[in-house]
Amino acid sequence: MAARLGSVAAHRTEWVFRALVSAHVVAIVGQPVFAGAYLTGDYDSLRWHAVGADVVTSVGYLQLIAAIVVRFRLRRSGPLVATAAVVVAETVQYFAGLDGALWLHVPLGVMTVAALVVQFVVVWRQSLVREAVDA
Amino acid sequence: MPERDHGLTRRRVLGIGGALGLVATTGLSTAAALARRPSSTGAELRSAVPLPPPFQVPLPIPAVLPPVSTDGGVDRYVITQREAEAEILPGLRTPLWTYEGVFPGPTIESRRGRPVVVTHRNELPVPTVVHLHGGRTPAASDGYPTDLVLPARHATSHTGHGMHDPRAVVTEVTRDYAFPLDQRPTLLWYHDHRMDFTAPAIWRGLAGLHVVRDDAEDALGLPSGPRELPLVIADRAFAADGGLAYPSLDPTLSERPGVQDRYFAGVLGDVILVNGAPWPVHEVDAARYRLRLLNASNARHYELEAVTDDGRRLDLVQVGADQGLLAEPVAHRALPTAPAERYDVVIDFAGTRVGDRVRLVNRLGSGRARDVMAFRVARRAVDDSRVPRVLSTDLPTWRQADAVRVRDFSFRAGRTHGGHGWLVGGLPFDPARTDVTTGLGDVEVWRLVADVHHPVHLHLVGFRVLSRGGRPPLPHDAGLKDTLSLRPGEAAEIITRFDGYRGRYLFHCHNAEHEDLGMMANIEVV
Ligand SMILES: [Cu+2]
Repeated sequence: MAARLGSVAAHRTEWVFRALVSAHVVAIVGQPVFAGAYLTGDYDSLRWHAVGADVVTSVGYLQLIAAIVVRFRLRRSGPLVATAAVVVAETVQYFAGLDGALWLHVPLGVMTVAALVVQFVVVWRQSLVREAVDA
Repeated sequence: MPERDHGLTRRRVLGIGGALGLVATTGLSTAAALARRPSSTGAELRSAVPLPPPFQVPLPIPAVLPPVSTDGGVDRYVITQREAEAEILPGLRTPLWTYEGVFPGPTIESRRGRPVVVTHRNELPVPTVVHLHGGRTPAASDGYPTDLVLPARHATSHTGHGMHDPRAVVTEVTRDYAFPLDQRPTLLWYHDHRMDFTAPAIWRGLAGLHVVRDDAEDALGLPSGPRELPLVIADRAFAADGGLAYPSLDPTLSERPGVQDRYFAGVLGDVILVNGAPWPVHEVDAARYRLRLLNASNARHYELEAVTDDGRRLDLVQVGADQGLLAEPVAHRALPTAPAERYDVVIDFAGTRVGDRVRLVNRLGSGRARDVMAFRVARRAVDDSRVPRVLSTDLPTWRQADAVRVRDFSFRAGRTHGGHGWLVGGLPFDPARTDVTTGLGDVEVWRLVADVHHPVHLHLVGFRVLSRGGRPPLPHDAGLKDTLSLRPGEAAEIITRFDGYRGRYLFHCHNAEHEDLGMMANIEVV
């Protein structure tokens, strides 16, 4: 049934997901920027890093919802698995930051950025809808 | 068929995912394995001699220095700085640099508003300069690092440091330090503050206590007399010959400053001394005791906890901070303590049985550095002491809106003239550069950011902590402080009023190795 979804709705689902992944990448790239400025002594960057953490985490949860929709409408589970992994990492990351556990916060942050960049390439490289439409 | 996905087989997609997952897992596990948890800044120096078992030697109490004169409303003291030997570890003679031949130096007891003049006589082989930490002191007696007292044995006028300071006031052999002590009663400490060589000088023994009291504090009914214990906690390491080990580049401490590279972030010893004795034990009544804690270590942080042998934790009820009494008591299960910080705490042994042992342990320490000292409950006793609900009502109430300016400072590692060192606001210390100019009476907010642990100390003034990491201060940030412990990656906002005296003062990191490697800056109060 889902595979027979109208192609307009399918494309809309895909574009929402792509838009969220893109916004997510933009937001997360700001985090090391603010962290770096903060460590030079720019106190305000700490606030931006904290705001950024809230934004990144929120976009992550929206992306998770979108990935669930993709899973059921487009019958693609890859985006959901990848998004779930990123969201788990970001949640751990958030609390590691609050606790000052830098040994975890710094490498996990770098890995999360890398994971999102890969996901960005994957979602823009080829349509998720193709298979659903072709089927 | 979902078998092919973007030209990749499902097997290959799983392979790539698995490989990246493995890389990520390996990376995070390596981080977990390499990381210091709890985090710590500095490297431990291991003693080359066998270490005694803990809780064997009795706790010494530093002797109170009698004044040489009390005429004219001024208490006058004379302190000779000289080399001496002490038996710190059983059976070993340890050469020290001392105030009056003892380590810690003799305690000076003073009253609020009653001036004290201390004549220091330098019989050590190097120049010295004394700073009274936490003292509200005119600049001329604040012990600026280049205001040296040249030793009697000194052949030339060479002052041992590389930087020229046209404002330095250098004296021969002796110097009078005048302390008005117009300040809240608290525990101060005096120590050497010589340019480039503060860390090894303190390590060799140049530190002592200075107490300020007043009638209001005396009237509170806090534990007193033998139930008030000054506890100077300091870590050291011992060389094979019984001397103190320290990784100086120049063991004569005269020409080349600095430590071996491994100890760049700070020198930690593996022997914990309290009042100069290794892991001592003290017999107590089953009653309240007032512990006047000072972390006199160069770089070691402690998180102190009082634990009975059957695992019960006794509360450490904080009544005072660096700059005197809190508004009200704050109970701690564990009390973090950074270098140069003082905590005034009351511990109640009433709930223990005669014969019980209560260990003071450092939750941040490992191995032998975990133990600090112990109390042995010797007898039941009447206790007429108390911890009032209100301790003081004179704490400053500066608010953010009172500040005439806000300044940001980073405390981090970086390049200095001679290589790598530690920087304040991106710059290594230069006595000739004024970093902060402020008006007498100005209220300022300072926002401090650290890369690793940096206990930041301001001379002349006390400050209040407004926030930590953008959130409310921690329980042990209460009261008026002069040293703030920043943890790795942490920021804090503090507020203070620059009052008291005009002149040139310092602010700096009180990790003594950091301080020697550039982490100081100048405040000019005009
Ligand atoms: Cu430091």
